[in-house]
Amino acid sequence: MGKPATAATRQLQGRDDHVQHQWRGQKRCIASRREASSAAAQEVDEPVVEEDAVGPAYQPFEDQTRRPLNAPSHRQALKSAKLAALHARLQLPAKLPLQTLARCLIDPSVDPRPGYNNEPLSILGQELLGYYTAEWLMTRYPRLPMPILFAAQYAFVGNQTLAAMRTEWGVETVAAPGPEVDPGLLQLKRQTPGNALADGEQMRIKHMPQAKRIGSGRRNEEYNYRRGMSSRIVYDDQFGDLQTSLATSTSDSTPPYPSAPISRPDDSTSFRLPDASSEQSPPPSDWYLPRSTQYQDPTATTVEAASATFVRALAGALYLHAGTPASKHFHEQHVVSRHLPLHTLFNFAHPTRDLSRLCAREGFEPPVARLISETGRLSRTPVFVVGVFSGEDKLGEGAGASLNEGRVRAAAAALRGWYLYSPPDGKAMRPSEVEGTGHGKKWKPQMIDIGEIIT
Amino acid sequence: MAPTTSPFVCLRCLRSSQTSNPSKTIRTVASAPTTIRRRSASTTTSPSESSEQLPRWMQTPPRMKMPERTRPEPKQPVWRVNAQQEPVDEMYDRFMGRWLALTHKSFDHGRRGFNDRLAFLGKRIVDVQTSLALLNMPSAPSMQPAAAQNDVFQHAALEGLGNVTNFSKNAILEKTRLAKVATAYGINRVMRWKPRKSDNLKSSGEDVVLAHTMYSIIGALALHRGGEVAAKTVRERILKPLGLR
Repeated sequence: MGKPATAATRQLQGRDDHVQHQWRGQKRCIASRREASSAAAQEVDEPVVEEDAVGPAYQPFEDQTRRPLNAPSHRQALKSAKLAALHARLQLPAKLPLQTLARCLIDPSVDPRPGYNNEPLSILGQELLGYYTAEWLMTRYPRLPMPILFAAQYAFVGNQTLAAMRTEWGVETVAAPGPEVDPGLLQLKRQTPGNALADGEQMRIKHMPQAKRIGSGRRNEEYNYRRGMSSRIVYDDQFGDLQTSLATSTSDSTPPYPSAPISRPDDSTSFRLPDASSEQSPPPSDWYLPRSTQYQDPTATTVEAASATFVRALAGALYLHAGTPASKHFHEQHVVSRHLPLHTLFNFAHPTRDLSRLCAREGFEPPVARLISETGRLSRTPVFVVGVFSGEDKLGEGAGASLNEGRVRAAAAALRGWYLYSPPDGKAMRPSEVEGTGHGKKWKPQMIDIGEIIT
Repeated sequence: MAPTTSPFVCLRCLRSSQTSNPSKTIRTVASAPTTIRRRSASTTTSPSESSEQLPRWMQTPPRMKMPERTRPEPKQPVWRVNAQQEPVDEMYDRFMGRWLALTHKSFDHGRRGFNDRLAFLGKRIVDVQTSLALLNMPSAPSMQPAAAQNDVFQHAALEGLGNVTNFSKNAILEKTRLAKVATAYGINRVMRWKPRKSDNLKSSGEDVVLAHTMYSIIGALALHRGGEVAAKTVRERILKPLGLR
């Protein structure tokens, strides 16, 4: 065992592939805390700090399984006051044991071995929450355009919202994971902030070349490759974003072998798709930076991502232990109860053109803008209230400082009114309400809209 | 005037040949159908009536069309989709979802509607059912020694969790595998889309459109028949051919 601080620094500097970089302050704190608790800890071959840095495939199997816990074991879960208080505060059913709740609080970045972290629970929970939210949105607002649907899905069950939920619940994060920490805290290994300066370099970590794995199945993930809304449904995740889960998942991803499909800006020997335009593009400006060090530990995660993983894992655990009613109750109480002003998510580029196409599609009379009322036409601040009419029916109304602005706002209001249509309360029914047996409900076919206007 | 044999006209000829359009059926906003259900008695539309009363899936809305084509046709074989309607489908005429579920956004520039939202809902259902099916699959016997096993909390409800990983999910629901299942069902013959190159469907993304259509059929089932029917269909018609029981 011996001298953890110097041994750690020496091994960190001499490393070829992955380098463990924590915050500087945190590293010092960890070293001192480790030394404080190392007297009581069991025998370790190397410092715990760098165990997760090297991929599990590089270590022999026996070392991996003999590795001590990096988080509190489930036996300590029953003794934790924080955990019991969290269980009671969230009014979780008694069927959900405290040990599973403790497992939900352990991020894969802490311990990537299967059975020790919340990753599979989080995958299941994410899909359940995504399903319930999608059906809620689609039956309540059947005409929502696809981009708005993606945005609303993120607003309800996306990373940012779930992270906010975690703080609202009063779950705190650890400064550093370890077996001695209270089981009621969210355990995660934080990655170095992107604004921090890289070791020995003048650049920030976020500007350093990163190795990204191509994992989403798309032909090309670069920013300038156009990907439309429809293909996102098949390729990307439930929010329409590129799948990062494949690249950052730790429990089943092994470090790349030398010719693995990795997109690395400064590596010309790595495998490239034959139709990529890399031959024509000039070598990037960071061509001459040293490739031997990597500045971001691929297993580390952010607080936001880990918080979202925890909330999703809780939803998954509820389903497994307490069944569908419990998970649906959870969704109702924590997700759907949040108010989202959908009308603010819209952003029309040419509302007048869209409205005209909509009326043509539906067979309405072509829309005509008419001035309803005005004031101050010759003054510095006129107000024109313009309405858009289809025949005798007013589709929308808007006020603006000029005639044109009023007309455009009226068209946008008309489109919002169309897209935000919601069926009457008694008619909307969610597909999951008739799942299983014993619900006693008869299914009412729901409205299916043909789609938004695309121009 | 434009010669009738030419497939397109220039804009000048188009403007000179434009005549006043015959009056089409104009609907008011208030009478627009807001729910599409099995209405057998109230509506009077049927395919045998005049062209203004044709169902929406059968024709492009007339006012959205240009009277004459002003751009040259692409140099590829003419792409045709299935427009036949079997007698057994006549009772589903007014159910837009039947045809809508098979219509991709590329078809007719999206003017006849498309199945994006249905595919979104369908994919969510397929994801959930895949995870649940993975839970029930036999998991690999643990290779960890008994000492390490004690550190993992064992519970009957948590069995099979080791199978649920992002890798396994994405391996099962890969678009090429879904496309093969869809082709086996014959969906590629009835789905309505427009490939970029009609003589090279693979490079036009047929796999993605097939997977998309499979999802949208599930979504349409969920909204039309309920979640139980949709889940059962996923388990039996999609996951079983993919190897999950």
